[in-house]
Amino acid sequence: MPITTTRRRLLAGSAAALALPAFARAEGAVKPRLTAISQWSAGSDGAAITALGKKFEEKGGIWQHSPVPGFTTDMMNKLRAQIIAGDPPACSQLKGPEIAAWSKIAPTVDLDAVVAAAGYEKVVAPDLAKLHKPAGKWIALPLQIYSTNMLFLSKRGMDKAKADKVPVTWADFNELAEKMKSAGMAYPIANGGTRADDGQKFEASLAGISPTAYRAACMNLDKKALEGPEMKAAFAQTRKISDWCDPNVGVQPYATNLKRFVDGDMGMLIMGGWAQGVLKNAGFKFDDYVITPGPSDNSKPVFLLNADAFIFWQRKEADLQAGQMLMAQLVMDPAIQTMYSQITGSIPVRTDVDLTGEGWSDGQRTTAAALKNAMGNNQAVLSLAHNMAQENGLTAAIIDVITEYVKNKTIKPDEAVSRLAEAVEGAR
Amino acid sequence: MTEIVSIATRPGRSATSEMVRRLPEFLMIWVPLLLSAAHLISFSIWTIWISFTPSTLIPVSGWVGLHNYNSVLASRNWQIAFDNLLLFGIAFVLLSLTTGLLLAILLDQRIRGENVLRTIFLYPLAVSFVVTGTVWSWLLNPGIGIEKLAHDLGWTSFHFDWLVNRDMAIWTIVIAAIWQSSGFAMALFLAGLRSVDSDIIKAAQIDGAGPIRTYWRVILPTLWPITVTVIVVQLQFAISAFDLVRALTNGGPGIATQLPALVVYDLMFQRSQLGRGAAAAVLMLLILLAVLLPYAAWRYVRQRRAAHA
Amino acid sequence: MRDRSFAPSRALIYLIVTLFAAAYLAPLVVVVLNSLRTNEEIAQSSMIGWPQHWAFGNYAMAWSGFCVAETCAGIRPYMLNSALITIPATIFSTLLGAVAGYAVSLWRFRGDNWIYGIVTLGLFLPQQMRLLPWTIVLRDIGLINTLSGLVLIHTIQGLSFTVLFCRNYYVAIPHELIRAARIDGAGFFRIFWRIILPLSAPILIVTVIWQFTHIWNEFLYGVTFTTGQQQPVTAALIALSTPVADIPKQGVQSAAVIIAALPTLLIYLFGGRYFVRGLTAGAVK
Repeated sequence: MPITTTRRRLLAGSAAALALPAFARAEGAVKPRLTAISQWSAGSDGAAITALGKKFEEKGGIWQHSPVPGFTTDMMNKLRAQIIAGDPPACSQLKGPEIAAWSKIAPTVDLDAVVAAAGYEKVVAPDLAKLHKPAGKWIALPLQIYSTNMLFLSKRGMDKAKADKVPVTWADFNELAEKMKSAGMAYPIANGGTRADDGQKFEASLAGISPTAYRAACMNLDKKALEGPEMKAAFAQTRKISDWCDPNVGVQPYATNLKRFVDGDMGMLIMGGWAQGVLKNAGFKFDDYVITPGPSDNSKPVFLLNADAFIFWQRKEADLQAGQMLMAQLVMDPAIQTMYSQITGSIPVRTDVDLTGEGWSDGQRTTAAALKNAMGNNQAVLSLAHNMAQENGLTAAIIDVITEYVKNKTIKPDEAVSRLAEAVEGAR
Repeated sequence: MTEIVSIATRPGRSATSEMVRRLPEFLMIWVPLLLSAAHLISFSIWTIWISFTPSTLIPVSGWVGLHNYNSVLASRNWQIAFDNLLLFGIAFVLLSLTTGLLLAILLDQRIRGENVLRTIFLYPLAVSFVVTGTVWSWLLNPGIGIEKLAHDLGWTSFHFDWLVNRDMAIWTIVIAAIWQSSGFAMALFLAGLRSVDSDIIKAAQIDGAGPIRTYWRVILPTLWPITVTVIVVQLQFAISAFDLVRALTNGGPGIATQLPALVVYDLMFQRSQLGRGAAAAVLMLLILLAVLLPYAAWRYVRQRRAAHA
Repeated sequence: MRDRSFAPSRALIYLIVTLFAAAYLAPLVVVVLNSLRTNEEIAQSSMIGWPQHWAFGNYAMAWSGFCVAETCAGIRPYMLNSALITIPATIFSTLLGAVAGYAVSLWRFRGDNWIYGIVTLGLFLPQQMRLLPWTIVLRDIGLINTLSGLVLIHTIQGLSFTVLFCRNYYVAIPHELIRAARIDGAGFFRIFWRIILPLSAPILIVTVIWQFTHIWNEFLYGVTFTTGQQQPVTAALIALSTPVADIPKQGVQSAAVIIAALPTLLIYLFGGRYFVRGLTAGAVK
């Protein structure tokens, strides 16, 4: 029974944590307190962090979350200011390789003991775990997982195009898009036009064409792979996708198009699972659409990992230290991960959480299955567009090329490939 | 404080008591001015220093020579931003100048409802750049704004997609910026028109000059000093336009509407390349100096002439 | 000054002015209309349209309803924060700017031109560039995450503008006035208080309007140098406007924009006439 496993694990986890030496024991003496900085202020993100805060308070803690609305950059400005002032928050939102970069400018908390006590390491995808223990020790904990290349199919859109086959490869996808177009859909694809949206179009293309090439080019920045034939093919596929998108979306996010998508005026959306949380919040039903892994030419799902995380900053105050331990336990707790993911539409970081129960959608089950499958085939890779593959500077330089290519249709794939290689050189 | 100054200076008072007496005024004058000047000078020097260091996430010491400058100058983002600044700066300044002048001349015709109209032209100044950018992004977006409205009303051939057209997008920033700031130009010009000596105008009328000729030959030349002020204020606006662009196009479509202020912010804070961001900021200051130095020289010459006259 | 015969075609003037006025008002009208439409209605049609169902609830939601993470108090507490930052900073920067402008223009002292030139250069120093240095300064004086810190920043930065405008205004005051007062034995402050300040209303209104709107609308420093409960109103507005994980809520957003802009709009509404008058009175030299 999955539920009982869950409870037993939770009990074991807390017992072990109570038995922890040093600062963790301070929990009994002081009321745990947590200062946290994140940009999650609205929508499902805001709802999820609020629910997490409630749980923290239920456990007797004092929850002091300071949301920084706006772009991630504004949140990072706040974090930087706090670090420069010598007053970092007990924990803050940070993700991907930025965890390693930021951990060099201020001391972080060694979470190894509490992670070991929870038996967490063996239930986390290895590529993901690595990002959260940059110098070999756990200093940050992932909160939830998304795949940035899930394919959302509008049921009404499918009906309109008289299509029932879920596309598996890019060829299938392209065929379906054409079919939808000839069924009268002016723009079969509902993606938005922000920088991240454009980046997603490209990374989904490349990873779907060849996960190996993706790993070499986007994760390892291998010079040969960056100029390889798969890159050119990926740019060509990206052009196809963007030709099927509404050019009027400008730099607006995909959310602008959700209604047209559900209504069947647009048939497909390549997006992360978070779109599901947004659709849910917007009052749309799970039956309105189908979620399936993004197109993959070898027919096995490719998973573009995107994970939000909290990094823990070293504090001397006993109550903050106790708060950090409590927070760490909560974040790793399967019940909390379940609650969090059900609000946002993500899947839990733990691969051992059972998703058969109520409250999970088919989309989430599909996503979790895709992750397992992709990990088995070594096809789980880190998302470039969502700052998981490279540090922000490099990511931004690469996205510059991609977004310009998407918006400027006179740039040929060949030229885009060489521009991208140049941009990588220039940003290093 | 009034009590202290009310003791008027009398010959024979000691130097010390004179200094004590004048201490409050020294504090009131010098403390704010020195703080202001000190922060400007030290922040500028700090930025120049950072631009030669390998700083990334936070400021660090070290020396990388001109490396940061070279990589900023070589980047496509900066090249596009620089070209855009030229285009945007010139177009925006000229257009807001002419719009402001036109509005001021019209308002100066003793028209009814001048108060209401003046408020209408001024109120955009009260709105934040972020709001201006957001609202104009609604209006100019062809999918949800003016174009959609025209289509819904039956004018289906109407086409206005500048916001998503990478060649024209920079002009949407010009439009929004003019909407927001031309009221200031209008107010300055109106102030100038109101202070033109009415005798000169009467003299021109007696000479038989028509209204256009009177404006062109007699009134407008007196507005030169104000025009220069308007240009400088608007240029400053153009160079530091940041929130507006971020909310309206965020540098897009693609990177077509990058501007130097955006690049500086992006490098410094989003890309965690503080050293390069500082280099871009210094380059921006150099552009500013290129504009301001001629202005300062012009002022200096004018003051010298006024002093001799 | 200009008499009626001066303009050939009054009708044409009115036509052009009306067209311009319509164009300037359009964004405001659109925002007001949207503030009275439901989010769904906007999402399903477009940003420009007449409300089908009057959604006055948007205002209640914007004022005290919507959530920024766990705080569901609408825009109200943020308005108060902005007022607590803006009002003192406006008063300080205006008063200090007036005194300094008066000293620079009428008293002349060694180095006055230099320091005046440097201070006004501050108008052109982009504020993104000043963010990190201010962080370090606020840390060193212990004012980070305090509203006082923001007041300090805005006062010092505001001086660039207030000194420039006050100085340009005071330069036009006849020096004889000051000379006569000095001969009568009046000192620096007495002259300022008795002679200069009573003459200053127009320019003080200009600087107050300018400072108030700029500080009220500021975002970057406002979110970087505060924590959660102290954030200014612009932060709450951004929380409504860039929802990455949400569908657009343009109805509530429009209502919030209107409420947040009310203080500055009212200032222009009632102060607009003095704004032009103040500029006319000599700030344009």
